[in-house]
Amino acid sequence: MNMQQAIKMTAAESALVDAYTAQIGDLPGDGAVLSLRDTLVHELRTAGLPTRRVEAWHYTDLRTLLRSVPAADSTAFSERVEAIVPGASVLSVRNGQADLKTLPEGVTARSYSESLLDGSAAAGLAVLGADDAIGRINGGLVRGGLEIAVAEGAELKAPVEIQVVQSHGQAHTRFPVSFGAGAKATMIERHLSTSAEPSFVSSVSDVTLAEGADVIWIILQQQGPADTHLGQIRFDLGKDAKLHLFVINAGGKLVRQELHGKASGEGADLTLRGINLLGGDSHTDVTFTLSHDVPHTTSSEIIRNVVFDRAKGVFQGKILVAKDAQKTDAKMACNTLLLSDDADLSAKPELEIFADDVQCGHGATVADIDHTQLFYLLSRGIPEKKARAMLVNAFVAEIVEELEDDEALVEALEGVISAWLEKHA
Amino acid sequence: MPAVQETIDQVRQIDVDQYKYGFETKIEMDKAPKGLSEDIIRLISSKKNEPEWMLEWRFEAYRRWLTMEEPSWARVRYPKIDFNEIHYYAAPKGTTGPKSLDEVDPELLKVYEKLGIPLREQEILAGVEKSKIAVDAVFDSVSVVTTFKEELKKAGVIFMSISEAIREHPDLVRKYLGTVVPQSDNFYATLNSAVFTDGSFVYVPKGVRCPMELSTYFRINEKNTGQFERTLIIADEGAYVSYLEGCTAPQRDENQLHAAVVELIALDDAEIKYSTVQNWYPGDKEGKGGIYNFVTKRGDCRGKNSKISWTQVETGSAITWKYPSCILRGDGSRGEFYSIAVSNGHQQVDSGTKMIHLGKNTSSRIISKGIAAGFSDNTYRGQVSAHRKAENARNFTQCDSLLIGDKCGAHTVPYIEAKNSTAQFEHEATTSKISEDQLFYCLQRGIPEEAAIALIVNGFVKEVIQELPMEFAVEAQKLIGISLEGSVG
Repeated sequence: MNMQQAIKMTAAESALVDAYTAQIGDLPGDGAVLSLRDTLVHELRTAGLPTRRVEAWHYTDLRTLLRSVPAADSTAFSERVEAIVPGASVLSVRNGQADLKTLPEGVTARSYSESLLDGSAAAGLAVLGADDAIGRINGGLVRGGLEIAVAEGAELKAPVEIQVVQSHGQAHTRFPVSFGAGAKATMIERHLSTSAEPSFVSSVSDVTLAEGADVIWIILQQQGPADTHLGQIRFDLGKDAKLHLFVINAGGKLVRQELHGKASGEGADLTLRGINLLGGDSHTDVTFTLSHDVPHTTSSEIIRNVVFDRAKGVFQGKILVAKDAQKTDAKMACNTLLLSDDADLSAKPELEIFADDVQCGHGATVADIDHTQLFYLLSRGIPEKKARAMLVNAFVAEIVEELEDDEALVEALEGVISAWLEKHA
Repeated sequence: MPAVQETIDQVRQIDVDQYKYGFETKIEMDKAPKGLSEDIIRLISSKKNEPEWMLEWRFEAYRRWLTMEEPSWARVRYPKIDFNEIHYYAAPKGTTGPKSLDEVDPELLKVYEKLGIPLREQEILAGVEKSKIAVDAVFDSVSVVTTFKEELKKAGVIFMSISEAIREHPDLVRKYLGTVVPQSDNFYATLNSAVFTDGSFVYVPKGVRCPMELSTYFRINEKNTGQFERTLIIADEGAYVSYLEGCTAPQRDENQLHAAVVELIALDDAEIKYSTVQNWYPGDKEGKGGIYNFVTKRGDCRGKNSKISWTQVETGSAITWKYPSCILRGDGSRGEFYSIAVSNGHQQVDSGTKMIHLGKNTSSRIISKGIAAGFSDNTYRGQVSAHRKAENARNFTQCDSLLIGDKCGAHTVPYIEAKNSTAQFEHEATTSKISEDQLFYCLQRGIPEEAAIALIVNGFVKEVIQELPMEFAVEAQKLIGISLEGSVG
């Protein structure tokens, strides 16, 4: 972007810059962190929020869509809620302060504000590129979060739930999480709000998996109907590491969920599953990039969108295969049920391939409910409304069932889906 | 898996250093001075004896162009073009428009003989009764000859250079020019609107099936020139026309710009088939020279049940930037895009299509095959969209790419946008999924899977290419055998 000259800021841009100015002196950080914050906010001021002219934001013109940003309020967080999976340990962040009451064995954690204060967070605060608006906003305003390490060889019995519960105002959190060699864990990153008041949330998770680590990471976004959620997860997979990344969007008014990963060790494997339940006037964008940097890595992505009402859904997926990454096997699919004539779905499943001995495929479909399936159910005496609900449910529940090893988890996620469909379908 | 040897050999045969049409013809030319200004536009317009409204139209585009910025979103890289270093008009001396064949400079005729383009009607007729083709030959900035004009006239078909059409059929031109690709459409289309020099005009009246294939052959010859042709094809209600376009250029060290605009209009129940064999000079092994092919091609299925189909075989040009598109406006209209793009050497291709579904019950199909070798980059970029009222829009897209070697890149960038719940879009880029019924049929008869896949894909491509007349499809023919084994998606 060639926008060195100052632009006329929108209300939302001013609000973000003002939020920063108002908190100067209060935001944690050492010299390096503070000067980095300054740079990021300065970039936000000069470049503005991205518009549709920025290719990565083509379908989510943040500058137009983000009308307003609620003022920061240090009392805007809510009490923690019950873990979604019974028996899970809950770690929460409230106004930047980490609550580390229940740490399971094999897990160490400290408040991210400490890493900001001692400067160790500085390197991770860098943006991923000129178009990384989320990294910029979050890096400028982040107050805290959790820095978590799962020890080498640790096998966590119950899931760990990271909770960010907001009632209004703003929350800017970061979660650098590292998994030692051979570690095995299920993490649930859960964002929710407890009121109908608008909140503005940005969150960046930075996940690294060492050799042979085997991790299920679930992002459960259940923000309120007036909320803006800008989420980002960065992940780096070492040799033979396996990440099962599961994203469920079941809330929010304006949502951008970015997933940026690297398969940087041979034998690394990513499974991405996404379920986007979209209704009302919401706008939800899931943007995914994965770069296969070394030979013999595999990935499989399935995204399922269900779009009701006047909702707008976006999926952008980009698989890069580097020059020497021979024998890469990558498959990406994006399937959408478009259930309303006022709804909207845009998909951009991209491939960028520089190696000649690889297998990459992508598929994308957009359609209404299959009429033959509907007919089948109707002919068996099931009323249309119920039959439709069954088919929609089956369309998304199918991929939840892949997590069959953990029954409680499957049940919890199915519960979230059913509850949402009950309300919207 | 990597590409099979047979494919590698076939691609090698059309590698950049095998370019056969790189000869240059010494011919005395009449050129406009270098650079672009209102005076140059006035000069072009007066060379063409254009009416005042046309000159105004050009000026309007030029003024708009001055305010525009060169697009940068495509996956291509090239040094900045100096638009004042180009001659915007170059024509063989004494030629301002097509003449009868006897009057044409014999040197010029030799060029076409060498290229294998049939210009002498009697020779064509005397030969074995192949398909008959009418040719409009455009040499740099002018159309030098148009064959079979009289015979076509009898059928009511108007086929002539656009410069002639502006003079002889101003009402038709005014009614349709710029209605598919507006003057302000994009940087290069706007530049073209200001300075276009020649191109073809076709009008097929109501209910007429054009009795022969029509074609235009574009040749860039002169140094430091740009070619800016403009083609306008109108198929009136119930009409049918098949049109072919071929292009070549001499081998030169400097890059030359080719920025064309093609507009197709199909009214109720009409059908237009537009085929291109693009073989501009691709540059040498080191990536020096070659044509910049920045083209805007768009068809408007304006009438109900109309159909437009684009077929392209792309092997030439240093840089290709083109997206032949269909606007499916009429209810029940259909758009098709079939493409084979092979890039070698340092070629860069960013090509694809757009299918814009506006009417009810519209359908479209995209089949694209990209093959990258050498140091080239081959990108498929395609958009499929269904608007709010496009009930029952259907699209099927299949794009495959193949890489030969590890210095090249293959990219796929589809944009899928649905705003109607009855839309059904399918996009796929895997060979294993092609038409499972057909695959099953072959397997059941004992044909191994790999052979069956090749058979199905090639059978399809063959069907498309074989409809191109031989004279235009030497390269295309070679591509028929290229299998998709080792396709990377």
